Amino acid sequence: MTAAVEFQNVSRHFGTVKAVDGVDLTIAEGSFFAMLGPSGSGKTTCLRLISGFEKPTGGAIRIFGEDVSSVPPHLRNVNTVFQDYALFPHMNVRDNVAYGLMVKGMGRAQRHAKAEEMLALVKLDGYGDRKPAQLSGGQRQRVALARALVNEPRVLLLDEPLGALDLKLREAMQDELKALQHKLGLTFVFVTHDQHEALSMADHLAVFNEGKIAQIGTPQDIYDRPATRFVADFVGSSNVLPPELTRALGGPAQWASLRPEATRLATSGPVTGTVTALRYLGSGTRVVIRAGETEIAALVPAGQPVPAEGATTAIAFDPQALHLMGAA
Amino acid sequence: MHSDRPSLLLKITAIGGLLFLHLPILFIFLYAFTTEERTYQFPPPGLTLKWFSVAWFDRPDIWPPLYLSLKVAAIATVLAMILGTLAAAAMSRARFFGRDQLSLLIILPIALPGVITGMSLRSAFGIMDIPFSTWTIVLGHATFCIVIVYNNAVARMRRLSGGIMEASADLGANAFQTFRYVLLPNLGSALLAGGMLAFALSFDEVIVTTFTAGQQSTLPIWMLNELVRPRQRPVTNVVAIVVFAATFVPILIAYYLTRGGSETAGMGK
Repeated sequence: MTAAVEFQNVSRHFGTVKAVDGVDLTIAEGSFFAMLGPSGSGKTTCLRLISGFEKPTGGAIRIFGEDVSSVPPHLRNVNTVFQDYALFPHMNVRDNVAYGLMVKGMGRAQRHAKAEEMLALVKLDGYGDRKPAQLSGGQRQRVALARALVNEPRVLLLDEPLGALDLKLREAMQDELKALQHKLGLTFVFVTHDQHEALSMADHLAVFNEGKIAQIGTPQDIYDRPATRFVADFVGSSNVLPPELTRALGGPAQWASLRPEATRLATSGPVTGTVTALRYLGSGTRVVIRAGETEIAALVPAGQPVPAEGATTAIAFDPQALHLMGAA
Repeated sequence: MHSDRPSLLLKITAIGGLLFLHLPILFIFLYAFTTEERTYQFPPPGLTLKWFSVAWFDRPDIWPPLYLSLKVAAIATVLAMILGTLAAAAMSRARFFGRDQLSLLIILPIALPGVITGMSLRSAFGIMDIPFSTWTIVLGHATFCIVIVYNNAVARMRRLSGGIMEASADLGANAFQTFRYVLLPNLGSALLAGGMLAFALSFDEVIVTTFTAGQQSTLPIWMLNELVRPRQRPVTNVVAIVVFAATFVPILIAYYLTRGGSETAGMGK
């Protein structure tokens, strides 16, 4: 299978700022790929390199095997759902969606029919005559989606597509986007700084840090086996153990990660600490234990005894769950 | 207790200020109907419509200045709309060294006293041996008309969500299509408003015109000359009413056009 998008040692430097620095990346056709990272980590620049709004200062970018380094944005068969949607304020929804077809010279009746089809796909039938200003944030987002999809792109790029929506709408749209991608079989590449969103939606993701990819893999890989301290910290769900603590717990003197679900409380053990916080989650209780300088979270399943705040407890874990990683 | 209602003194001062500003305009209208033609005596001894017919039928000297003013204003406006829009597009797209300074240079002619603009243009025409003509007046007017159009266009471009140009390219439009289908429709009302303001400003400009017109008379200059002559003074007032209509109506339309623009352009949030 050919790769939908391929980066080969791609860099984009702005003067001395290395926004993207030596990135190698392969996005398989038909996958839902997430680029995750804090702001300024280079993920958005990577997306703009694919859409063509940025040109690489080094390396090669291929879309379905074709080197696109000298292809301008309007000639690339990729479309973008922009972060602020960037709908045309002077056009109604139907003309917004039909825009890509119009500039390619498709007749009025035909392109309007196609636009209505797309609006139905994103569940906005009957909204064709409205102006973007008359729509809610969630509806604008769907229009932006329909406007991109009507061009039948081979790759759809989404730039923080859910960032402007409230929590409830965001969760609903996550499911819908996933279903839509599945139905159309397209390659989706989306950028986000929200680790939960990336882990729950993508089937592959790249974690960016300072212009480089810190780790690339399935959500499971990233979650269970973070490659570096940065990834473990950023994804945030795992405990990050400094080398001395790892050794005290019986491992080598290396940074390690430990998932809260695999962490248990015990009456005695090599590492003890004080319970500093308790959070009831329904399926269990999240207990935060302070051991020296490090805070370790443990998930106590429902039905098991929970220590009181301020109590002293020891930490035990499944040895297989301890994951060693690099220090970077 | 603090009251939200203005005090009586403040009200009287405010009304006094407004009257001071606008009453003279009403007097100009009033004296277009007076029966007395040598001095502006108050109250007018009688009222008549005679001066309107005098201006229309018996004063052929009004028409050449009127035509000249209209012609100059029209050409200067067209010139300003083309150059002002191009300058605004360049300034909002490009980031280069000295951009802010260049922006200041474009705006400067409207901050500069007209006397300075007029003098420098006149000496430049003199040095280059350019004889005074309609075009020298147009050139003088274009200096500030461009600024008006430029300011309007720049303000609108700033309010446009920057992404829509990129969105257009992303959807397959080339540069011309983006200009035609996205930029121009969003800029249209701002350009029209700028053009109307520019027309109004050019139509009643006196200072720069005095330096660049030579022997030619635009309508405002004709009026200035008329006021020092003792005969048929009310005819000047009749012409003043025409000038008032010709400049005030475009300004009003421009005001409404730019006000309505905020709703369509503000959607990017």
